[in-house]
Amino acid sequence: MLMSGVLACLFLLSLFIGANPIPVLAAVMDAAGDTQSVIALILTEVRLPRALIALLAGATLGLCGAAMQGLLRNPLASPGLVGSAGGAALGASLTLYSGLAAGFWLALPAGGIVGSLLATLLVYSLAGRAAGTATLILAGVAVNSIAMALISLLINLAPSPYAVREIVLWMLGSIANHSMDDFWIMLPGTLLGWALLAGTGRSLDALTLGEETAHTLGVNLDRLRWRIFIAIALAVGSAVSTTGAIGFVGLVTPHLLRPLVGFQPGRLLPASALGGAIMLLCADIGVRLFPAGTEIKVGVLTALVGAPFFLFLIVRSRRWQT
Amino acid sequence: MRFFYLIACCAIAAAVHAETPPARVVSINLCSDQLLLLLAKPEQIVSVSRLALEPNSSYMAERAAHYPVNDAKIEQLLGFNPDLVLGSEFSPHPSIRIMRHLGYRVETIPLSSNLEDIRSNIRYTAALLDAADKGEQLIAEMDRRLRQVASATTAAAPPSALFYQPRGYTSGRETLQHEALVLAGWRNLSADHGIRGYGEIDLETLLLAQPQQLFSSAYAPGTDSLAQRQMHHPALNWILRGRPIINIPYKYWICGGPMIADAVEALAQARLDLLHDSGGKKHK
Repeated sequence: MLMSGVLACLFLLSLFIGANPIPVLAAVMDAAGDTQSVIALILTEVRLPRALIALLAGATLGLCGAAMQGLLRNPLASPGLVGSAGGAALGASLTLYSGLAAGFWLALPAGGIVGSLLATLLVYSLAGRAAGTATLILAGVAVNSIAMALISLLINLAPSPYAVREIVLWMLGSIANHSMDDFWIMLPGTLLGWALLAGTGRSLDALTLGEETAHTLGVNLDRLRWRIFIAIALAVGSAVSTTGAIGFVGLVTPHLLRPLVGFQPGRLLPASALGGAIMLLCADIGVRLFPAGTEIKVGVLTALVGAPFFLFLIVRSRRWQT
Repeated sequence: MRFFYLIACCAIAAAVHAETPPARVVSINLCSDQLLLLLAKPEQIVSVSRLALEPNSSYMAERAAHYPVNDAKIEQLLGFNPDLVLGSEFSPHPSIRIMRHLGYRVETIPLSSNLEDIRSNIRYTAALLDAADKGEQLIAEMDRRLRQVASATTAAAPPSALFYQPRGYTSGRETLQHEALVLAGWRNLSADHGIRGYGEIDLETLLLAQPQQLFSSAYAPGTDSLAQRQMHHPALNWILRGRPIINIPYKYWICGGPMIADAVEALAQARLDLLHDSGGKKHK
């Protein structure tokens, strides 16, 4: 409840912050009434899509991070590290720079979804079912590097001369300069992914007792695994094909919230979705307030916060081992 | 700066009169290509840069097709045995340094950001090529076309416009785009906004400025990228009341030259169209 409140406040706050101070309340009145004004336009066509996309992408990353950590029972699993996000960025850029996405709007998220699924499956099959943390991370790093290398190659070969500078955008992620069209494009896949994940809470709870026990409790592990992988591909693929691979939200959010929900993966899922949305909205407000003349990418901020946390996780896991 | 050019021109003119005019000229930059192709006698030209053939960038692409191309590599340049190598401020410096070191004559043409730069660059290059008359002829023709546009432009309050390129790039004061907009009777909102040279304008600022027309001069139309998608933002369509963003070919100003007159004429025509449209709406 508290988190929903915080999220709503942040969402509203994010509508108030932009490159220029505009009278937001007057803009709301204009937008609600039939008056066509520039400030209403800025609110509904520039700031609203940005806030909505941050909300959707953040929630997706948080939710998918929690689901992945629950399924693989691995504290370092997350869309960013297991290659889902890198694969999605590769798939999306493949359809974009080949010109395919210009002809058919579904091509962009579809590319992201397919790329995400293939990368996730590749990492999973490389690391094996009962993969240790190190193996999973190594496989993830390898697949991510391949994806990023291929994105660079692809963008350098792209016919558009503007493409080259967008490598950074795909690798770090950005929510700036989107329209409501982009939001509608990412919406269906994301919602479908969320819906598939919604019912997995109890199975994930059972899985904390071990695969054998979960099996006797009636959890069909193969089906659960496929369901979660496909859900992540749908949600992360759609989100990343609009925002680029925003790092660390999916990794950090579940860790921060896990103690608050009593370490139950089922309860962690919705909490982590809210938490991810809060984190990304905060980060996006942060980059807009950043005093440098031009905006920094939102992924820079999440990485600056997330990477030290990642290091902390590694240090802590080493302490446990020794 | 202008004084310096004048001295340089005089000095070069004097030197050229003393020597024989260059007979084997190689250009290694798109911008020196344009002036070379415009000013030199065909038999003076030995080679132009590869970009000179690209029809979107090169105003003189058709004529450039008659000559072998180079990539500004030392080996190629030596093979042409030039008596004059023309480059611009942006030409690869190692090539220029080595060619000079080997005793070849290399001259670089400065960039231009206004009409006066264009005139002085034409004069400077014409003097190098012993084609001063041809240079004056080009300048006179350009000035005649610009005067024609100016006389057709009424003194009424200029409509507002700005250049908006993929990724939000725009042209402020001290750019050829600004110069051309003003000559064609527009008010450049980017310049009003304090942008000097080429800068970025964010979407909110653009919308608040409420331009009556947007111009673009984008590379590689027909390709796709996130930057180019930004040009299709629905808010842009709304602020222009459905008027399309007008694309002015960038070969008119990627290099400063008399072709700026083509751009000014296109911009002036767009202004007439806009005034005609809004006049028509008033009648309804």
